[in-house]
Amino acid sequence: MQIREYILRRLMILPLIVVGTSIIVFSLSRVGGNPIAIYLEHEMTPAEVAEIEERYGLNEPLPVQYLAWAGGVLTGDMGWSAVSAQPVTEALFSRIGATLEMAIFAAIVAITLGIGLGTFGGARRDRLPDHLTRIFSISGASMPIFWFAILLLILFWVNLGWFSTGRSSPEIFASIAHPTGLYTVDALLAGNLGAFLNAIRFLTLPAITLGFGATAIIARMMRSSLVEELNEDYVDAARAKGLPERLVLRRHARRNALIPTVTVIGLGFGFLLQGTVVVEIIFRWPGIGRWMADAVLRGDQATIMAYVLFTSILFLSVNLIVDVMYAYLDRRVVLGG
Amino acid sequence: MVDISTAPQSPPIPTDGPWAVRTRRFGEVSKQVLRNPTTVAGLVIIVLLLAVAFLAPLLTTPNVPDPYQMPRDWGTRDAPPGTPGHLLGTTSTGGDVLYGVLWGARTSLQLSVIVVSITVTVGVIVGSLAGFIGGRLDEILMRIVDVFLSIPELIFALAIAAVLGPSFTNIIFALSVVFWVKYARIIRGQIIHIKQNDYVDAARVTGDSKFRIYLKDVLPNSITPVMVQATLDMGGIVLTAATLSFIGLAQAGLAEWGVLVSDGQAGISAGKWWASTFPGMMVFLWALAFNLVGDGLRDVLDPRTEGR
Amino acid sequence: MTAAAPAAGGTDVIRSPLVASVEGLKVHFGTKGGRIHAVDGVSFDIRDGETLGLVGETGCGKSVTARSFLRLVQSPPGIYAGGRIRFWSSLARRTGADPVDLLSISQDDLLDIRGNRIAMIFQDPGKALNPALSIREQVAEVFYQHRSDDLLYGLADDPPLIIRRAAGQRARGLERLLLKLPPLRGHAAKLRSRVDVHVAEALAETQIANPRKIMDSYPHELSGGMKQRVMIAQALACNPDLLIADEPTTALDVTIQAKILELIRQLQHRHQTSVLYISHDLSLIRQTSDRVAVMYAGRIAEVGDSDAIFSDPLHPYTRGLLAAVPSASHKRGGLAAIEGNVPELVDPPPSCHFHTRCPFAVELCRSLDPELEMVNGHGVACFAHASAEHLGVMPEELPSFAKRTR
Ligand SMILES: Nc1ncnc2c1ncn2[C@@H]1O[C@H](COP(=O)(O)OP(=O)(O)OP(=O)(O)O)[C@@H](O)[C@H]1O
Ligand code: SF4
Ligand SMILES: [Mg+2]
Repeated sequence: MQIREYILRRLMILPLIVVGTSIIVFSLSRVGGNPIAIYLEHEMTPAEVAEIEERYGLNEPLPVQYLAWAGGVLTGDMGWSAVSAQPVTEALFSRIGATLEMAIFAAIVAITLGIGLGTFGGARRDRLPDHLTRIFSISGASMPIFWFAILLLILFWVNLGWFSTGRSSPEIFASIAHPTGLYTVDALLAGNLGAFLNAIRFLTLPAITLGFGATAIIARMMRSSLVEELNEDYVDAARAKGLPERLVLRRHARRNALIPTVTVIGLGFGFLLQGTVVVEIIFRWPGIGRWMADAVLRGDQATIMAYVLFTSILFLSVNLIVDVMYAYLDRRVVLGG
Repeated sequence: MVDISTAPQSPPIPTDGPWAVRTRRFGEVSKQVLRNPTTVAGLVIIVLLLAVAFLAPLLTTPNVPDPYQMPRDWGTRDAPPGTPGHLLGTTSTGGDVLYGVLWGARTSLQLSVIVVSITVTVGVIVGSLAGFIGGRLDEILMRIVDVFLSIPELIFALAIAAVLGPSFTNIIFALSVVFWVKYARIIRGQIIHIKQNDYVDAARVTGDSKFRIYLKDVLPNSITPVMVQATLDMGGIVLTAATLSFIGLAQAGLAEWGVLVSDGQAGISAGKWWASTFPGMMVFLWALAFNLVGDGLRDVLDPRTEGR
Repeated sequence: MTAAAPAAGGTDVIRSPLVASVEGLKVHFGTKGGRIHAVDGVSFDIRDGETLGLVGETGCGKSVTARSFLRLVQSPPGIYAGGRIRFWSSLARRTGADPVDLLSISQDDLLDIRGNRIAMIFQDPGKALNPALSIREQVAEVFYQHRSDDLLYGLADDPPLIIRRAAGQRARGLERLLLKLPPLRGHAAKLRSRVDVHVAEALAETQIANPRKIMDSYPHELSGGMKQRVMIAQALACNPDLLIADEPTTALDVTIQAKILELIRQLQHRHQTSVLYISHDLSLIRQTSDRVAVMYAGRIAEVGDSDAIFSDPLHPYTRGLLAAVPSASHKRGGLAAIEGNVPELVDPPPSCHFHTRCPFAVELCRSLDPELEMVNGHGVACFAHASAEHLGVMPEELPSFAKRTR
């Protein structure tokens, strides 16, 4: 009941924030000078320039231009992506699978490892495992992703030769169809174990790199909330019932410690999203992160706008889901604004 | 019923004002902070990094005309570490890695101090307005904050820096636009919390003006969480800036760690690991040191929010 | 009576057998400022079927003493620094087996005793129940943990190993998955419905009106009194020999307090359980307890039959407390009659811990620990009741109630 109201209210605020975000994104594109620059070629006559201005509505007042752009976005028309020489929407959808696949694997790494490490440290408070967990999580929050990626490449690619950059081996890529764009899923659909393992092999390093920061965030939160829960009376009450320490930890303390940990998963997801740009550059991963990086270097505003809007909507949605999950998990929570 | 739970004498209630409490606390706080070995480690690293930043002109021969540009020695390219005159080796364009590492500390120090000063000032002003005046203004400002928070930090900064074009000044600007938001939130939250505290009411009764109450009571009490956040941001800003310049948003040839890592990246497949490794490590150390200290500060000043 | 029973009780009183005997218990906490001697040489006995009231002001070490029975003191910083707690389970008493020392038995043996032979109720039922688990799950745990054989009996001729493990809460991740799948699902469901019967019975015993409905609720949906009933149901589920109730009604409304007290008393009689009842409320202790131990700053000041303590208190502390009892005028003023501060418990020198507040204190009290001396089952730790000869001092060096020093 209450939860449903809460979700409804959050859902109603969401579009407002998205509109705000889109205004920021739009303003950004106008701050950087007249977007007409990208359409111009040498030796155009003033008349030709005016004609282009006319065509793209660039001589209208800004609010009108914004509405025109926003209308376009709503109907799936986000302009022309110069870096990929195709419409932005098409370019986005052809690249999203690669990024999504990497992010999903990184999230799996981060959530399992983060919760595991946090439990490991928190249950052994102020002893060696706890100190190691703490060092790990602070390192994770301080680690420049680009450097970490390069270190991994130096070790596992240049020196050991176990992994390499890119997304799959060419001959294996050619051997199966790719209906979903997620190579692991495609391989499973094709029933091709070799292709699946190949996809996993290429995913390993990028997913670990990308997941490191989020792992650290989750581990840290898990650790501190577990420490807090272990001080609660109900933990002693569980012990007083004769439960072995294993059950006291798993069934009682950890279950409650997971509730606040859920809240940082949204934050961790933000880490993952922004990490993809760098990770995709270094591992030559053909996703939207590298697309953005290319656009940034070439000043391709349509692409930049689309990317920023897309990721922030994704980010907002994940945070909404996380909040709802939290409200659902924590039966004690009094939902408020 | 007879309840003997109460001890016979309760300790006297301190009668000093907030300032007295705070000055007394400062000594305690620093003692407690220094008791944590990881915090001390962070402080030591910070001192070393600052020493490097200040002594860079003495440790190396500044490049002319602009010491913040990498000197080029086209004769010795891709020299490995240990080469005479190039202790940490050179890049593929003949830049001395050691020079970049040392002057990078100077660049980073300037960058972080500028951005932290700007963002704290803006954040404190906006947060104070929202928290202290409240009402519609608060509503509007906080919605704006929400919108800013809806875009992941690095991506927002990346987009701003991108539309402004590649230059280090633009990176500074972009980071300033992105990083003030947290301070506004902290300050506003603190003010609203403190406004409900009794001694502000007491001050009101004695007839102090609103602004005086603000200066005397509200602001000093809001400072600790801002300090913690600023310490953490000193690290986070350098980290984000290095990422932006790694992607290619600083001008080429700048003596900055992210630029150097980016320059060195192409060489790693040929086994030239040094040009990326050393500058990257500096970024890591910088962020690590400030995170360790910020974390230690938070544990002492505000133990309840630990890890959040 | 077991031969090992300590010198308590003379030849005149015939007392029931011992259930537990605390001897010289010391529990310390290592802190930055030094070692806190929270419990500093505590001794008392608990006999079969009786209620022993443990009373003392806040911070005197009551909870630490109680938790030591189940080794629940947090460690670190807690250290069991000395003494022992001997415990005779009903089985041991019947077979004449030796008691066990709760402080030195193995962890496995301890788990067998916790919640089974010795159970505990906590002060705040709101905090002592896990907010994330339903009442059913929480009460059922006790049965799974200690009654798995009963649960399996007659369930099937030869229940599969995995079901046996499930009944003992030993099923791990993959096994738990298998339990949800067809061949085992039937067994698992039967097991669960058997546990449900036990849970409902246990809840019904505490006069919870609609046990089947309550089972499905979560703690936050219940009132404080209801939660404490659940705690009691859980504690008495296995018919323990000893129930430790650490201020079971302090967090409840006054009207509910009386009901909960009555409930504990009824169930105690029905189950033949001994109770260690902790409170800082003298009148409650007087109502509930057969015998009383008065605790002060980590030590027992006086112990004896309830009647004796309340009609003829010997220790100056107890006298001070009781002198304050009738005055309805000051509500919480129990100790207002006794001036002075509770001493620091950090590395205390040998002395009577009460000397800082005692109107009769003399030099001796500041330099020597008074022993708890038992006469006819009434013990007191005060030099005013000691014999000068025994201590090897002159009689005038002893404190006397005739001369007040302040
Ligand atoms: N975890 C701990 N760490 C340090 N000291 C502790 C700890 N637990 C208890 N103590 C010390 O032990 C002393 C006795 O505590 P205890 O909880 O037994 O008091 P109590 O008699 O039960 O008081 P109350 O009536 O308030 O429940 C306290 O004064 C405290 O100094
Ligand atoms: S008379 Fe001495 S020994 Fe007796 S209670 Fe007072 S101080 Fe303690
Ligand atoms: Mg207590």
